[in-house]
Parts: sequence; C-alpha cells; structure tokens
Amino acid sequence: MALIDHTSAVIYMRDADGRYLLVNREYERLFRLRREDIVGLTDHDLFPGDVADAFRANDLLAFARGFPVQMEEEAPGEDGLRTYVTVKFPLTDAAGTSYAVCGISTDITERKLAEQEVRRLNDELEMRVRERTAELEASTRELDAFAYSVSHDLRAPLRSVAGFSQILLEDHSDALGEQARQYLDRIQANVARMAQMIDDLLHLSRATRVELRREPTDLAGLAREIATELRGRDPDRDAEFDIPDRLVAQGDPHLIRLVLQNLMGNAWKFTAHRGDAVIRLSGHEHDGVDVFSVQDNGAGFDMRYAHKMFQPFQRLHSASEFEGTGIGLAIVHRIVTRHGGQIHARSEPGQGAIFRFSLTPSPAGWVLR
Amino acid sequence: MIEGPILLVEDNPDDVLFTVRAFGKNHMGNEIIVAGDGEQALRLLLPSDGSRPLHPALILLDINLPKVDGLEVLRALRGDERTRALPVVVLTTSNEERDIVDSYRLGANSFVRKPVVFGDFVEAANVLGLYWLLVNEPMPPNRGD
Ligand SMILES: Nc1ncnc2c1ncn2[C@@H]1O[C@H](COP(=O)(O)OP(=O)(O)OP(=O)(O)O)[C@@H](O)[C@H]1O
Ligand SMILES: [Mg+2]
Repeated sequence: MALIDHTSAVIYMRDADGRYLLVNREYERLFRLRREDIVGLTDHDLFPGDVADAFRANDLLAFARGFPVQMEEEAPGEDGLRTYVTVKFPLTDAAGTSYAVCGISTDITERKLAEQEVRRLNDELEMRVRERTAELEASTRELDAFAYSVSHDLRAPLRSVAGFSQILLEDHSDALGEQARQYLDRIQANVARMAQMIDDLLHLSRATRVELRREPTDLAGLAREIATELRGRDPDRDAEFDIPDRLVAQGDPHLIRLVLQNLMGNAWKFTAHRGDAVIRLSGHEHDGVDVFSVQDNGAGFDMRYAHKMFQPFQRLHSASEFEGTGIGLAIVHRIVTRHGGQIHARSEPGQGAIFRFSLTPSPAGWVLR
Repeated sequence: MIEGPILLVEDNPDDVLFTVRAFGKNHMGNEIIVAGDGEQALRLLLPSDGSRPLHPALILLDINLPKVDGLEVLRALRGDERTRALPVVVLTTSNEERDIVDSYRLGANSFVRKPVVFGDFVEAANVLGLYWLLVNEPMPPNRGD
C-alpha cells in the first residue's frame, strides 16, 4: 500500500462489474474522496455518464485483451478536463480468471497543451512562410509584368527616333552636310543598341513570368543540341565539346535549355581567341545536392568583379574584345534561383572559367562554392 | 497584282507615316486608307448606315487601339460574312505570346512585330506587300461564306 501511495500517478482497482476495490492516496486527493467511501461504488456513481462510459469501455478492453493496454483518458479536474495516459491490466486468480482490472493514470495535461502549442506555432510559422512566399512571388510577378509593359512601351518612341533619323538621312542628306550625317548615324547605332537592350529585358522578364514545370530533364541531351547550334553558327572554329551521355535533373526543360544556352554560349564566345577550345559539361553530388558545371579554357575573368556579372547589363569585358549586352547571366541567375538553386563562378584571367549551379533547394546554410 | 486599297488601322501618327512611307517604297501602288481607331475601322468595313462597305486588298491591324481594340475588330470581322475572308495582318509593337495566340485564334492571317530599325521596317513592309498583294490568291468576290 505504501508504494502506491507515494506516487503522483492515480492508481485504482475495479472488479469485473466496475466496482472499486481500491484507490491510492493521489486518487483520494484528486477527487476529494476517502477510500472507505469509494469502495463498492462504480464510475457511474462518481463521474458524468459519458466519462464513466469511456472508463468502463477501457476496463472491458483490458479484460478482453488479457494483457496491459495503454490509452488516453479524460476526467474532470478542478479547472476543467484533464488528460491522462493510462495503463490498464487485468488481475487473474490461480484458475486464470480475470477478477479485476488495475489502472495507473498519469496526468499529461500540461505536456499535451505544450505539444498543442508547439504544433500551433509550427502551423502558424508555416502559414506565415507560405503567405510571405506568395506575397514575394506576387510582387516579383507584378514587377516583371511592369518591366514587360514598360520596355514594351519604350519600343514605340524608339521606333519614331529611328524612323525620323532615317528619313532625315534619306530625304535631306544634301542639306545636312557630312558632320550632321555622321551624328545621325550614331543616333541610329544607339537606337539599335537600345532596342536590343529592351528586347533583352523582355527576355529576362519572360524567364521569370512563365510557369515553372518540374520534370526529369536530360542536360546532356540539351547540351548536345546547343553544341550543334553553336558549331553551325561558326563552322570554321574547331572547339571540342565534352558532354556526358546522360545528366538528368528535375527542372523546367525550357528554362534549363536557356541556362545551358547562355552558359555554353558564353564559353563558346570567350574561347573564340584560341584554337584548342574545350567546353565541358559535368555533374557531381555535393553534400547530397546535385551540382552541374559548364567549364571552358577561354579568356576567363577577374574574380574581384565576379559579384557583378549576374546583374543585367554588367559585363567584365569590353564590347570591342567580345560582343554582347550582358543579359545572359542575369537570365541564368533568375532561372536557377527560381528552381531554388544556387550558382557560382570561378575563374582567373587567361585561365578559363567554370560556372557551377544547382537546381534544387539546398540544406539550410549550404552555400555553393 | 491585287487591286484595292490597303486599310491601315493605327492610332500612332508616326507609325502611320512610316507605314505609308515603307509601302510607298515598294511601289505596290495600292492606296493606303487609315483608320485611327477600331471603331472607325469597323464603320468603314461593316457600315450599319447602308453605305457601301470598303473592300480592302489587305488590312494592317494594330492591337493597342483606343475605343475598340485590334482584337475586337478582328473578332467582329471574322464574325461577319462580308469580311470573313479578308486578309488581316496584325502589325503591332507587342510580341507577347498571349497577343500572338489570341490573334491567330481569332483568325489573323499573319502576326508581325514592328521592327524598331527603319530599314527592317521597310523590309517587313516589302515582304508583306509582296506576299499578300502579289503571291497570295484571295477568295473570289461574293463567294465568302
Ligand atoms: N565563360 C566566360 N568566360 C569569361 N568571362 C565570362 C564568361 N561568361 C561570362 N563572362 C563575363 O560575364 C559577363 C556577363 O555575361 P553575360 O552572359 O551576362 O553577358 P554577355 O555574354 O556579355 O552578353 P549576352 O549574354 O547578353 O549576349 C560577360 O560580359 C563576361 O565579361
Ligand atoms: Mg552571354
């Protein structure tokens, strides 16, 4: 008796008909009853009907099973319903007949509440993250739609500038004189450049506006197609492409094609000054993240300016050395980020360049280097 | 050579000037009639006051127009027996995929984005004129069902 009285658990014994045989001191304290008064009563004498029904059903379950069973139970306490985790086991006589059930109930109300609170906070956090992401996505989309319509509207006045300067050249050439004609030529060259930049901006915003589809995509297959296109553009160059048989990633095939087109296009462009160009596509696993790379042995660049190159219209080489507007890597960066991936470039002047990227969200704190 | 005027539906006066000039350069000789918005274009093509409808050899249609926009004009033309078979080239600043898809869905014959550089503009007008006014064989008159 002493043992069962020195525990914070509620302990009781009831016979096959549900009548109390014994309760411990904690039971007396909790329900403000004395054990002499309880013995012989059933739960239906002590608790509301539905609570008593539930206790009785669990007693019968323990009887039927013949071995200890565990369950959660609820009983009214001073400040509302309390939750218990209860173990019930049948007591058997020498003949093997169960004559009573013993229950040990431990109050887990606080733990339960804490668990619920944690779950609620988690749900709330998850919801907030989801809301915030949706907001961010919406505002990016809005911004891109804005960029699209602005660059779109910019084309019309530009067409007027181009058109009228052409008309001046065609119809008033004699009146203008040599100097004026040269200025007009320069106006036109800049208009053409600006038109190209506007088109590039349109491409950039388009890369973010399209719906992202994820499906198994073979980067190697795409790379071979692109290699053929590049060769076709400049058949006199003999460059070597080193592409594996298969390199599968989960991602949007159309957008991944754009990534490879730009990275391989750059590799092709910045190896133009050497005869033995090698452009290599490969894939490796780093800490469980699939990392792909496009490597070349071309002009390379100075790492001090590497952080700039993923921004629109930022170039690390002059137009007289290598042509371009500086939009390609901005598009690549956007697409990689939209996939949840990262991109990183490494190079040294004259030593070629390697661009490495992932296309899936990486573990927290993981940075591609 | 197909007779009849070209109807240019365009609200930007600069673009009107360039288009007229570009088509003038290819010596097609077709008269160019200009409608400054969609409403005016529909009044010319599908008059409701009993006057004789204009029957152009080719319609050049901008999309962004005041009042009635280009796509609505196209829908109205394709919904009416008299204009169903007229060749319509959508000639616009946009190359937004949605605009292209909508134009073809509504029955445009071609979709051309106006080039910024004037030389390219002339070239585009040349190709369009050559194809629609010389090469293409239009639906015989009074047979459009
Ligand atoms: N493989 C490479 N080797 C050396 N430098 C590179 C390489 N790829 C990119 N860069 C540098 O980064 C800059 C930005 O690249 P990006 O692709 O955005 O523009 P671009 O190739 O110059 O023009 P565009 O792609 O718009 O035609 C390049 O101008 C170049 O200076
Ligand atoms: Mg590039």
